[in-house]
Amino acid sequence: MANLSVDLAGIKLSNPTLTCSGTCGYAFEYADFMDLSKLGAFVTKSITREERPGNEPTRIVETRAGMLNAIGLANVGLDRFLKEKVPLLKKMPCPVIVNVAGHSFDDYTETCAAMDSLDCVAGVELNVSCPNVKDGLTFGTHPGRLKELTHEVKKVLPHKPLMVKLSPNVEDITATARAAVEGGAQVLTLVNTFTAMAIDIYKKRPRLANVTGGLSGPAIKPIALHLVSRVYRNVAKPAGVPIVGMGGVQTWQDAVEFILAGATAVAIGTALFVEPSTPNKICDGLHEYLAKMKVERLSELVGALQLPGDEPRQSPYP
Amino acid sequence: MASTARGSFLAVVRQNIPLCREHFRLVLELEHFPQTSPGQFVQLSCRDVSLASDVGEEFESTDKRRPQLQAEELTRPVAMLRRPFSLAGRRDRGSNTEIDIIHRVVGIGTDFLAHLKEDDEVGVLGPLGNKFTLPKENQEAILVGGGVGIPPMLYLAEKLSGKRAVAFAGALTRDLLPLTIVDPEARGLDDIRALSDIAEFAKHGVRSVITTDDGIYGFRGFVTQALERYLDEAKPNAVIYTCGPEPMMKRVADIALARGIECQIAVERAMACGMGTCQSCCIKVKKPDPNQPPLVGRDWCYRLACTDGPVFRASDLLW
Repeated sequence: MANLSVDLAGIKLSNPTLTCSGTCGYAFEYADFMDLSKLGAFVTKSITREERPGNEPTRIVETRAGMLNAIGLANVGLDRFLKEKVPLLKKMPCPVIVNVAGHSFDDYTETCAAMDSLDCVAGVELNVSCPNVKDGLTFGTHPGRLKELTHEVKKVLPHKPLMVKLSPNVEDITATARAAVEGGAQVLTLVNTFTAMAIDIYKKRPRLANVTGGLSGPAIKPIALHLVSRVYRNVAKPAGVPIVGMGGVQTWQDAVEFILAGATAVAIGTALFVEPSTPNKICDGLHEYLAKMKVERLSELVGALQLPGDEPRQSPYP
Repeated sequence: MASTARGSFLAVVRQNIPLCREHFRLVLELEHFPQTSPGQFVQLSCRDVSLASDVGEEFESTDKRRPQLQAEELTRPVAMLRRPFSLAGRRDRGSNTEIDIIHRVVGIGTDFLAHLKEDDEVGVLGPLGNKFTLPKENQEAILVGGGVGIPPMLYLAEKLSGKRAVAFAGALTRDLLPLTIVDPEARGLDDIRALSDIAEFAKHGVRSVITTDDGIYGFRGFVTQALERYLDEAKPNAVIYTCGPEPMMKRVADIALARGIECQIAVERAMACGMGTCQSCCIKVKKPDPNQPPLVGRDWCYRLACTDGPVFRASDLLW
């Protein structure tokens, strides 16, 4: 069997599949439907300092080859997370990454500081791009602010790798990617959902109560792939920062595309709603692919995409 | 022997019968399907599961198997998410189980289901959600189903054999009732006698009252009006079970609460996952103590229809 293991800034993953924050609950919600021990890593729902009820329904609508969500960061808040969810996470059979969201620097730093001392937490992912909460956009779309936030968070998180999840709703994603890396991000996660809307033509109203939501699913995959490729070439590769690629990953072929484009690992989100065992199936497919391609380590394929103008590949014939 | 674990199953279509306008009964056969109870639901894949989603795979073309290239999403709408359906019945034979799903064609997902043929395969996630609590020994069960909310009442009726029970089934008009109506004796327009004229209920000894909004068959008016009359005339010691359109269920809840009758409601909410992760099927409920979590200081919180429900007590719901 080929070696699927990957390293995300010191987090050792047995394979390159992660769950996307917000699509897999806090811990064991999918335990009956998938083998959690075969996940590369588990990424929790976004945790905020204060408990949040979330948006009014309707919160999710399906669109062509995708869906819109506007959950509004419904979560138990830091205190209940520590009390109720951490004991569960201690039993998780794979590395756990906690996703943290907030509305102010203090929100982020207080929550992240609490994560730094938890043994069951392998790393922290910053949600700076959730487009659903009114001021959520600001951190992730302004490079200066993002750099400052990443820097402040890294100060209170000296012992855990810091991942920053980038928003695609920006003019130039390489600018925010660079800002995050300069601020101290050790892993870049991209991309979060695309701000979008759907309309009920009979009621002449938006279908989401929040008016807009984040588009995810296979519909966004080609765009996400392009952004991963750009960030890899322009920022991540020169800086030596690994990328977790996401956006519509459903199959092992999708995963291979993201890895060739420059992702060290891939995260699966919307597909979990349809089939929670998708990450397990992707790993099976990757094994077959590597065997067929005669590649021993998956990590050899990271960024192996050949673009016009790249140095020509060595011919196998002398 | 059925296990208790939930899971992802592949079912085979045994029957797919049109019952009335827009309604179908889909009979699915599964192996080793866990135990289920009335009120629970399953998530069905409403797209072709035999088409591998492996776009770009190498195909081996034979006479029998020709390459199927997909990109279906690009040519026509395909349901990406599964769709939730309550169980309308269950029969076990050894390790095999047949479940009944009664659905109404309202969109691309249910349209796909309506076109399924015998031996087609369907992905089933489940069983999901909580269940109805059966009535106590001395209580009468009153089942109130509206339109496509009737199916879970049929499964509940299976478990009420031998108990005192009456079912109210209402719809806009007769051909939207997904039921076998037998021996239609002439009923008056304001007749709320419980008769044995719905075969699905009668075979479990449950009498029924049919209502149609247009009065073309049975009691003329809303199912809630017939229920109200029944309660006021019979004054039963009862538990009400209901499922149907939200305005109807709200009215049933009000009727029950006003009379101090226990009422269990199977709510319907659009959901993506059904497993408690997507947080889309939330419904507002009262908290017994505002000073206890969740949301300390508020007297309400959201619960999820998929894992906390779908069955809620009327007295808890704020809708």
